Amino acid sequence: MSLRTFIIGVAASFGVAWLAVIVVPYLKMRDLQPVLMSAEPGAALFHPKRTGRVADGAEIYAENGCYLCHTQVVRPVYAGNDLYRPDWGGLDADESRGDTRRETNPYDFEGETFAQIGVNRIGPDLSNLGRRMDVLQAAGTDPERWLFARLYNPRLNPDLYSSTCPPHPFLFEKRRVHGAGSPDALAVDAGEGYELVPRPAARALVSYLLSMKKDHPAPASFDFAPAKNDSES
Amino acid sequence: MSQPTSQSTEQDAILRAGIDRSLRHPVMFFLTSGAAWLAVSIFLGIIASVKVHSPGFLSSLSWLTYGRVFPAHVNALVYGWGMQAAFAAILWLMARLSRKECTMVGSILTAGHVWNLGIALGVIGILSGNGTGMPWMEFPSFAWPLLLISYFAIVAGSFIQFRIRPVGHVYVSQWYLLAALLWFPWIYVTSNVLLHCLPGHPVMGAGINAWFRSALLFLFFTPVALGVTYYLAPKVTGRPVFSYSLAKFGFWSLAVIAPWAGMQKLAGAPVPYFLPYIGAAATALIFIPACAAAINTLRTMASAPETMAASPSLRFAAAGMAGLLVLAAAAVLLNLPGSTLRLTQFTLSGYGFDILALYGFFTLSMFGATYFIVPRVTLREWISRRLIKVHFYLSVYGIITVALVALFGGTQQGLGQENWQQPWLGVLDYARPYAVATTFAWCLILFSNIFFFIHLLLMWMRLGRRSSHPTLLVSHHGGNPHGEDGDIDNAGPGHAHAH
Repeated sequence: MSLRTFIIGVAASFGVAWLAVIVVPYLKMRDLQPVLMSAEPGAALFHPKRTGRVADGAEIYAENGCYLCHTQVVRPVYAGNDLYRPDWGGLDADESRGDTRRETNPYDFEGETFAQIGVNRIGPDLSNLGRRMDVLQAAGTDPERWLFARLYNPRLNPDLYSSTCPPHPFLFEKRRVHGAGSPDALAVDAGEGYELVPRPAARALVSYLLSMKKDHPAPASFDFAPAKNDSES
Repeated sequence: MSQPTSQSTEQDAILRAGIDRSLRHPVMFFLTSGAAWLAVSIFLGIIASVKVHSPGFLSSLSWLTYGRVFPAHVNALVYGWGMQAAFAAILWLMARLSRKECTMVGSILTAGHVWNLGIALGVIGILSGNGTGMPWMEFPSFAWPLLLISYFAIVAGSFIQFRIRPVGHVYVSQWYLLAALLWFPWIYVTSNVLLHCLPGHPVMGAGINAWFRSALLFLFFTPVALGVTYYLAPKVTGRPVFSYSLAKFGFWSLAVIAPWAGMQKLAGAPVPYFLPYIGAAATALIFIPACAAAINTLRTMASAPETMAASPSLRFAAAGMAGLLVLAAAAVLLNLPGSTLRLTQFTLSGYGFDILALYGFFTLSMFGATYFIVPRVTLREWISRRLIKVHFYLSVYGIITVALVALFGGTQQGLGQENWQQPWLGVLDYARPYAVATTFAWCLILFSNIFFFIHLLLMWMRLGRRSSHPTLLVSHHGGNPHGEDGDIDNAGPGHAHAH
């Protein structure tokens, strides 16, 4: 076999797969078209809204390796049991919408350049962390302060005593208390006259985490649980 | 008739010695700096592993938080050790098999320094909190063009050597190495350009990243390790390859199957449905080329059992092939859509599989190559049989623990995850004992590799034994732990023993 034939063979066997699993899917997904909520005339476009510091929060998430233990994908039931968990795909008993659980769709990553699907689940999936925080808020807890304390040291919360999530004290700043002190100061003893307040990175990260509410009603064309919607309306 | 034959043997020996001499510094540079990065990577791996079961460990330092140490560990292992060990093997094997001296030592060494600088800056970038958050591509985005350019400068000579080689038979090792040389830049440029320069859909980005990891394993590290083993097995035993047609079949089946693998990591994520399925099918099918190559080389080695017991190169190469067989079985067992894929997709077993491939298969094969190549390029024999044995046993026991614990523990963890009626915090208990075992095993591997690094450094400093007898693992005379005493090599590099 000549070098030429060899290179053609090696390039062809690689190139066909490269086109089929990388290039063509990349081009198709880059050009994802807007989807109508239903086939009825006058139906709205599916446009999941997301508020918060998504872009810079995602950067902090990436830089500190959150994706090593947390995923951001709720798999359909053929690929895993994620949807059965009461608060991963949405909420199983939302006050106004009932059961909002659904799998992740490609429109859920609005505002991000790389979807942090994740590699391991040592911690829970975060697709709907913002919704879980809504529940906490309804119970009278401030979700931001709860998340700040959680980031500072996960095991401060007695419910999470066995968590193996790393503490992130470096996202907080120890500073002298001025006047009444910061409303976001952590409820930990920082020494006489001092308080621990979140740095900008912690604020961006918490804002990003609170934006994780991926349970908007899905368009009819890829809503795999239409019966649920019928019972709601 | 015998006169010309012995003359050509003599010329052959001189040519080989010339090639070895021309490559002394490039090969030793890449092996030694690779071994240093290996030790750094394992050290970071231990820190990361301790944090999995004791999260308070070193937690006040932002540089050493788990989310930064772990990517630094993996990237140092892949680019610092893996790629550099591969460079050393490629440079030496391509020169020997093409029968050409290396004429680009200066540019190779310069590019090698740039490569190491890139890795160092990349690792510092990750630890200082500037990682990109894409697994195996965490180096800040300035690093990849730097690494790519130095890659071309390092391997260009090997490609030229192959083009201008004296016409003759192309051996199967050359196929594997040439293919790896072509595939790597294709994979690396595709993934980095599509993720850093032309970001498309974020979920497809995650898919490209998963494909990149798989392609780097199966289309770069695998062919390099197989090329090396196909060289070592017949060379050290002095027997022909067991089946040459099986070798051809193994090569082409790898070339056809492996590029499709990787996207099974995205099962259930919103990408086109065929991608995870085809990725799972291809990963499971890698069983075929892996078994073809492993069985072929192991059968070749088994034809000379006494050499197998004595030769450090062969022993490491055989262990690497055993690792490949386990990897092939794991590729099937972990990736069955509908049964095991859902259990293993987001567990420790992903890491276990990567480490099994990178250390249990690739690295052990590279150690085999190192024990063969270094005495030839330095004209010194390995200093101590005991150091080699310690290196071998600690490496093998360590990797068996890391890989099997991660694979099995990962499946247990997956069972816990799938049990949705149980609260999530309980799932952690499934993974904890395995994390403790992993820390212990990494400590064994670190210990073995620190000795390896020192041994290698002493060899580069030409403090090896000046003897014409290689350092073998079994002693026929007993007594001397450093191997047989032999004639001092006063004959110089042209001497016929330098094969």
